[in-house]
Amino acid sequence: MDRSMFEDPRGPYLRPEELKRTAGRFPFYWTRAMYSGNGYRGGGYGSWAVDFPKSDQQFLIVIKRLVRLNAYDWENPVGLWDPDLRRFPLIYMLEVGGMYLTEEEVVGLRSYMEAGGFVIVDDFWGPREWDNFLWNMRRVFPDKSITDIDLDHPVYSAYYDIDEVIQVPAYGNYIQRTECYGCYPEVKGIYDDDGQLMMMINFNTDLGDAWEWAEQPSYPLEFSTYAYQMGANMIVYAMTH
Amino acid sequence: MQGIFEFLFKYRPLVFEQADFAFAAPMSFRTWLGIAGLIAASAVATYTIARGKSTVADRGVMAGLRVALLAVLVFCLMQPALTLSTVVPQQNFVGILMDDSRSMQLADDDGTVRSSFFAEAFTPEESPLMQALSERFVLRFFRFSDIARRVDGLGEMTFEGTHTNLANALDAARSELSGVPLSGLVMVTDGADTGERPLTEAIVPLQAAGVPVFTVGLGDDTLEPDIELGRVDLPRTALQGSTLMVDVVVTQNGFGRGSSVPVIVEDDTRILSEQSLELGPDGQPVVTRIGIELQEPGARRVRFRIPAQPGERVDRNNARNAWIDVVGEREKILYFEGEPRWEVKFMRRAVATDENLQLVLLQRTAESKFLRLDVSDSTELEFGFPTTRQELYRYRALVIGSVEASFFTHDQLQMIADFVSERGGGLLFLGGLSAFAEGGWAGTPVEEVMPVVLGEPQGGEGGYFSEIDVTPTPAGLAHPAVQLDAEPEDLRDRWDALPPLTIVNPLNQVRPGATVLLTGTRSEGGEQVVLAYQRYGRGTSIALTAQDTWLWQMHSDVSLEDQSHESFWKQMLRWLVDGVPNPVVATAAEEEIEPGEAVQLTASVRDSTFLDVNDATVVATITSPAGIVQELPLEWTVEEDGEYAAPFRPSELGDYEIRIDAQRLEASLGSDVTYLHAAPSDREFFGAARRTQLLQRIADDTGGQFYTRDDVSRLPEDITISGAGVTLVDELDLWDMPALFLLMLLLMGAEWGYRRIRGLV
Repeated sequence: MDRSMFEDPRGPYLRPEELKRTAGRFPFYWTRAMYSGNGYRGGGYGSWAVDFPKSDQQFLIVIKRLVRLNAYDWENPVGLWDPDLRRFPLIYMLEVGGMYLTEEEVVGLRSYMEAGGFVIVDDFWGPREWDNFLWNMRRVFPDKSITDIDLDHPVYSAYYDIDEVIQVPAYGNYIQRTECYGCYPEVKGIYDDDGQLMMMINFNTDLGDAWEWAEQPSYPLEFSTYAYQMGANMIVYAMTH
Repeated sequence: MQGIFEFLFKYRPLVFEQADFAFAAPMSFRTWLGIAGLIAASAVATYTIARGKSTVADRGVMAGLRVALLAVLVFCLMQPALTLSTVVPQQNFVGILMDDSRSMQLADDDGTVRSSFFAEAFTPEESPLMQALSERFVLRFFRFSDIARRVDGLGEMTFEGTHTNLANALDAARSELSGVPLSGLVMVTDGADTGERPLTEAIVPLQAAGVPVFTVGLGDDTLEPDIELGRVDLPRTALQGSTLMVDVVVTQNGFGRGSSVPVIVEDDTRILSEQSLELGPDGQPVVTRIGIELQEPGARRVRFRIPAQPGERVDRNNARNAWIDVVGEREKILYFEGEPRWEVKFMRRAVATDENLQLVLLQRTAESKFLRLDVSDSTELEFGFPTTRQELYRYRALVIGSVEASFFTHDQLQMIADFVSERGGGLLFLGGLSAFAEGGWAGTPVEEVMPVVLGEPQGGEGGYFSEIDVTPTPAGLAHPAVQLDAEPEDLRDRWDALPPLTIVNPLNQVRPGATVLLTGTRSEGGEQVVLAYQRYGRGTSIALTAQDTWLWQMHSDVSLEDQSHESFWKQMLRWLVDGVPNPVVATAAEEEIEPGEAVQLTASVRDSTFLDVNDATVVATITSPAGIVQELPLEWTVEEDGEYAAPFRPSELGDYEIRIDAQRLEASLGSDVTYLHAAPSDREFFGAARRTQLLQRIADDTGGQFYTRDDVSRLPEDITISGAGVTLVDELDLWDMPALFLLMLLLMGAEWGYRRIRGLV
């Protein structure tokens, strides 16, 4: 077998300062939102850093094979308080059940979404985490409601045709699937005043783990396939709507 | 000066110009030369022999003066004369062409009305000019405005003609008098030609026939004080809600540079815009650009006017009207993007609320996989980018994003080029990793459509990348596409406040004829062409070389209330579809005309692939102001493929709607509507000052003379010696010219004076 097949096909990794300086060199950056919250998760960085950076790196490798996406090959964490967040019109935010936004982050997230930024929320479970997320969102948008995104929404056909919302379990949780009793997967959204979707909330599901562990033989293909399909659809939708 | 010349040389300079010189004495020139030699030799000998006190120099001077005196005497004895062809009295005709247009109603600076000249000059009993002409020639009178007609007397003059067509007038008079001996044509006019025919077409036959034209210029060289609103460039159609930047040309005389006047733009119901204009130097046209918004759909007449200023000589040249059809349709634009990019999202959002734009997106999301958005039906673009002209030409404009040229077949590339040149569509190229040279577009049929010059791809494997600060050029500041909905005085500040963009296609050169509207400075230095356009065939191509205008929406330096990005894209896409033709285009040669005058209706007819059609049935359905409908068939002109025409004469005052339908084999090719306003015309009051240079040129080119009221009395004699018609040869003696007598006195006096000075008397 030709050894070159195993060479890393990814482009150069850029240090955060250099990446910010050259933002725009690539049409797309998979950007993870950094926020304040539970300090003990995410290897001590906080809940924003759960699955980081392997999930991001692996997601990019696969998504670039599925979609003609000219993306930067590496992770790109940016704080909600950082003005440079507005150079990346799509952010991924997970484990929001443990978030506690500072006032600066509330303002940053609000202006980001109002300016046209798109937020993908993932990997939080159960009523307690929902309530925490809701409490934070009420600070961001006191008057905006969170509504279900039904299967006839164009996001489900933006790239793949998805006709069912699947609950994607965390790594190693294939039998029980859910992390809370009686929880079922939901996809919800927050829309702007013009009816444009600003935030897509994947609740009671963990797309990030499916992206991160897709190469594991023990992780069921069904879940990673669905997760990547949702990932492709959310990106294509966000970049066109 | 001319009087002095005539006193010294007996005749006017014109006589010397027209005549040939000869000696009338019977002996030959050699004999006279011999006699002159003998006389000169004897004179020299006399001075050589009789030396007295004189020196050699004295004798030389005196001998020279004496020889010169004798030479003048011999010259007179040789009987110099001019031989001149003069017309035989009453054997020749002269055509007198009198300007019967409305500009003859204007008064000169001294209060004299131009038309009064005709009564003064051509009343048989009272006018010396008329008497002199009548004695020599048989006169034929014509009056002319758009064409020339024979008249028997001044009573037929109305001074109500709405045109001054000099070429037609000269043609008609030459033709009418072609069978008689013609000594010349006399054209009495201000020369304010409003015809569209080149004068050369009328002058060349006159030159060939040897007919001189004598022009008599009426009116002042300049009308002052006066303001003239000379020209208005208003497009024929515009999308509802568009902001138009209209060029208005204003010329003034006598009001002084720097003074300001208001320019008011209005339609039948309201004032659309009012702007102050600073006047330029005397006689120098000044172009000002006025922005007007057109919110209501429908055709309307827009009036641009400058209120009459105190003391102004002519106020009927202060306004211009122009028709514009404000269409409320959705104009369809195809945006083809080669990969998911943020430009797509933000461009779509920017124009989402614009009901007059349908931005159809075709985005390649994977190899042979496309996302279609805002298509009209499920079949539209179902196989990707159009492969036929019918399919592509349904769109009025095309946006090509970051897609490599090799994606397209050669036929598709040629089709894209033809989309601009033949269909007349708008084509916008966006910057991106696979755009311009970096996308392999050099060497393709589309390359020359681009307004920018492609070089070699730069930046190596990683590609080129730079930030750019974008700023409008002077041309951009006045262009509707980059106004950002800002007040003109705030525009530059608005641009300066926008965050920098990035480029991956270094482009710093545009094609000849292209115009740069936005320019940028790269982070490492050097200039970048950011926005440029050019006309290409029937259409327009535009290059926007930045890859992320969405930063004007998303960047943290841009406030959430800022609408620059939305305004930019609305204006860009509206500009892209502006003026894009339909298969059938109807035009009236003039938008305003007097009832009874003819206007040429023209239709250009093409099929769905925009190929000219010569076998169509084309009919104009004309609705008069009173609602009377008539049909007028248009015929193929033969001179131009796909062009049909017919003259139409409105009979009522008011607005006519002219709808032109084209069919071939019972199938409709399309239709178009144009409008015509029938009203008393002010055309004659524009450019109404005397055109001295033009009249002088007509006279010079045909061998005639130019006159004003002051020197027109010379006209009869000048025609007499013009040499045209039935002529006699006259011999005019020159030996008795006072100049010769004075010269002899001068030479004698010089010799006498020399002797006195030298003490040789």
